[in-house]
Amino acid sequence: MRLITHNMLSSNIKGVTNGFPLRIQVEKVVEKEVDFNPDFLRNMFAKIEWKALTEASKTLGYADLPEETEPLMLESEEFLRKLHHALLELHLEEGALVCPETGRKFPVNKGIPNMLLHEDEV
Amino acid sequence: MKGVLPSIVTRIDQECSSSKGEPTPEIEKNHVHRVYDAIAPHFSSTRFAKWPKVQAFLNSLLCGSLVLDAGCGNGKYLGLNTNCYFIGCDISSPLVNICAQKGNEVLVADAVNLPYRSGYGDAAISIAVLHHLSTELRRRRAVEELIRVVRTGGSVLVTVWAREQEDRSLISKWTPLSQKYTEDWVGSSSPRTHSDSPSFSLQSIPENDESEPRGDFSDEHTDRTCQQEYLVPWHLPYHRAEVSGTSATALSTGLARKDDKKGAVVYDRYYHVFSEGELERLVSSVDGAIVVDKFYDKSNWCIILKKI
Repeated sequence: MRLITHNMLSSNIKGVTNGFPLRIQVEKVVEKEVDFNPDFLRNMFAKIEWKALTEASKTLGYADLPEETEPLMLESEEFLRKLHHALLELHLEEGALVCPETGRKFPVNKGIPNMLLHEDEV
Repeated sequence: MKGVLPSIVTRIDQECSSSKGEPTPEIEKNHVHRVYDAIAPHFSSTRFAKWPKVQAFLNSLLCGSLVLDAGCGNGKYLGLNTNCYFIGCDISSPLVNICAQKGNEVLVADAVNLPYRSGYGDAAISIAVLHHLSTELRRRRAVEELIRVVRTGGSVLVTVWAREQEDRSLISKWTPLSQKYTEDWVGSSSPRTHSDSPSFSLQSIPENDESEPRGDFSDEHTDRTCQQEYLVPWHLPYHRAEVSGTSATALSTGLARKDDKKGAVVYDRYYHVFSEGELERLVSSVDGAIVVDKFYDKSNWCIILKKI
C-alpha cells in the first residue's frame, strides 16, 4: 500500500463520524522506484491531506517532507521529488491500518489492505 | 399482476435499510463472492481483451488523473492509460492478489461501501460490476459511491450486462430466477411478505440447457424477454479446480456441480441484467451527477456521468 492510497482511505464502520486518517501499524516497509511525473504530483497535491501524509510518511520511516506547504513549492523539483518519494515509492507491505475511533485493525498483507467490514460493522 | 411484483420488491429494498450499510445478501455471498474466489486464476486468464469503449474513456482523461476502479476484477484496466494513476479495489481477495502481482495499487473493498474519503479521484469506473448486486438499493448505493469518490467535474463510467443480448442463444444457457428469490436468498434481515418459500435447490438445476427452469415460477417469470435475474454458469476445467480446496467444498455443499462431459466444475454466477433505460433511470435517481453519454455496446448498457 502506497501513501497515495492511505491518504484516501477512511474507516467506514457504522457509527464512525471521522474515520480518517487511519493510523498505521508497521511490520514491513519496502521502497520501490517509480518514474517521476511532476504534472501528476501537482495534480495530486490539491487533494492531499498534508498532515496525514507527513505523519504517515514518518511512520514509514521517511521524515523529509516539510510540515507546512505553500503553492510556490510546486515549482521546486526538490520538493516534488520528496513528495514523489513519500506518495509513491514507500510501501507498507505488512502491517495494519487502524480506525482512529474504534481501534479496529484492517490488515495489510503483501501490500494489500483488506478494508472489508464484518457483518456487525456495516 | 405483472407490474405489481417488481414494485413490491423495490419497496422492500427501500424499507429494509435506511442506513448506508446492510448485510450482504446470501445470493451474492454464494453466487458472486465465493464463485469469483474459486475461479479467480482461470477467470483472470480469460480476461485480457481490452474493451475499446473503456479504453476510449480512459484515454479521454486529463494527464495525471487519478482513476478509481471499483470492482477491478483481475485488474485488466489498471494502468491502461499510462498517463493516469490507478487505484483498484475488488471484493475478491484472490482477484486482488492477481492484480497486485502485476504491480498494481489495489485493495480489498466493497463497491457498495467504498472506504474512500470523498472527492479524491478524478474519474471512476465500474466495468461489469453492478449486475452482480441483487437489489436496486445496493445498485443505487454503488452508483452513489462512484459519484461520491470523484471530485466535482470528475467522470464516471458504468457498464452492465444488458437483458437485450446480441447473441440470444447465450441466454438459453442461463438459469432464470424467480423474482421471489429475494425473500429467501437476501437473508434473515429482510422482511418476508410471503409465507410460502419456494424451494430452489441448486442441485436441482438441470445440466441440460434446454430444460425448463425450476423453482416457483409463474408464467410471466418464465418469459425470458422480461426476465432479469439469472444464474450464469462458469465452467472451471477439472485441471484448474483445486482438488482439496475450494472446489471440493463447493461440490459437497451444492455450490457447484460437476459436468463430466465438459470435464469441468460448474459454478453459477448471479446476474441482474439491465433492461433498456434501466441504467439511466438508476443513475438519474442519484443526486450529484449528470448523464453526459449513454450507449449500448457488445451486449452491455453503458453510461458516462459527470459529477456536478
